[in-house]
Amino acid sequence: MKARFAVSFWVLSGLLASGMPALAHHSFAAEYDSSKPVTHAGVVTRIDWMNPHVYIYIDEKSPDGKIVNWGFEGYPPNTLRRVGLSKSMLKIGDSISVTGWVAKDGTSRFAGREISWPDGRKFFVGPPAK
Amino acid sequence: MKELSFRFIAIVIAGAIGLYGNPAAAQTPAAKPIPRTADGKPDLSGIWQALGVSLTGEAAARPAGANPASAGPARGRGRGPREAPPYKADLLARVKALVADPVHSPSAQCMLLGVPAITMNPMPLQIVQTPKNTVILYEVMRAYRIIPTDGRDHPADLDPTYMGDSVGHWEGDTFVVDVTGFNDKTWLDGAGHFHSEGLHVVERYTLTPQDTIHYEATATDPQVLTKPWKVVDTQLRHPPRADRIMEYECAQNNIDLPHIVTPVASR
Repeated sequence: MKARFAVSFWVLSGLLASGMPALAHHSFAAEYDSSKPVTHAGVVTRIDWMNPHVYIYIDEKSPDGKIVNWGFEGYPPNTLRRVGLSKSMLKIGDSISVTGWVAKDGTSRFAGREISWPDGRKFFVGPPAK
Repeated sequence: MKELSFRFIAIVIAGAIGLYGNPAAAQTPAAKPIPRTADGKPDLSGIWQALGVSLTGEAAARPAGANPASAGPARGRGRGPREAPPYKADLLARVKALVADPVHSPSAQCMLLGVPAITMNPMPLQIVQTPKNTVILYEVMRAYRIIPTDGRDHPADLDPTYMGDSVGHWEGDTFVVDVTGFNDKTWLDGAGHFHSEGLHVVERYTLTPQDTIHYEATATDPQVLTKPWKVVDTQLRHPPRADRIMEYECAQNNIDLPHIVTPVASR
């Protein structure tokens, strides 16, 4: 009975694990919490348009008036090119709002999902949570 | 967003229909004659991808109204349930330990992914078919495989490698690739699915009238598996916008590792 449970548990885990997310470099769940969606808004301070993921950093003013620099990761550059988000669409100094999911280690990082610009444009910069 | 070509839309529709690895059930695109090389073999050449948003766009990943936190990853076509490899009972603890250590997964470490895992990665691959060699170039981890088709066998004294040694031949219209000489550093597919150096994989690539590649891979590894394990998948031809694979240097800015904190299995 125990052996059968163990096998079914690992079959299920295998099924879950086999569905590797499009952030294929590493497991989403090992780094981010899909039960904790967040939105951060601020001014772009840095753009690392590199593999294995782009990283974009924004200065967000928190309710107490302090500036916190948040970094979010997205798809690799090649993937972004293919879905139509080019590096030229994002510049240092842009004001953007970004949805995503919290980092599990408590640092000021999150998995980015959708960027919104003040003019109403939106773009998916990273995958849905897994 | 940019204009969507008819072909792109057709691929998204094909994905949304959710095919379970049965090319005969494909609804779109329409059947076409299979392209062939001068020696009469189906021509597998081209840019292909099994799944991923860079193939299908976000529409397949997130149907209108779906909760963004629950939408699954984009798929080029529906992928049915896949059984985990059938590990020997006394090895399940090792699978569990590897799942609990995602920092050392081959992909997090930017290692070559092995076979068949690399075929199911959500980045494109390019097949270059010539009379004596079929070469597969993978965008992910800048991997490549050279598959001689001149009838030779594997060398007798292989040094174990991540991608193994491949030789190919045709059985009718199916390209069959025999792969041995693996090291034990890769995963079959999915977290923690380790194998031994005794792994032997046979892949079968069949070009379908729907202009997809029906892919099957059977992995045999008597040291760790109780019986052979098979995966089935479908490669879609990349839309014309992506006419070549691009550089993916995973080690360029691999800064996730210090932030990986939670074993997947404990969620």
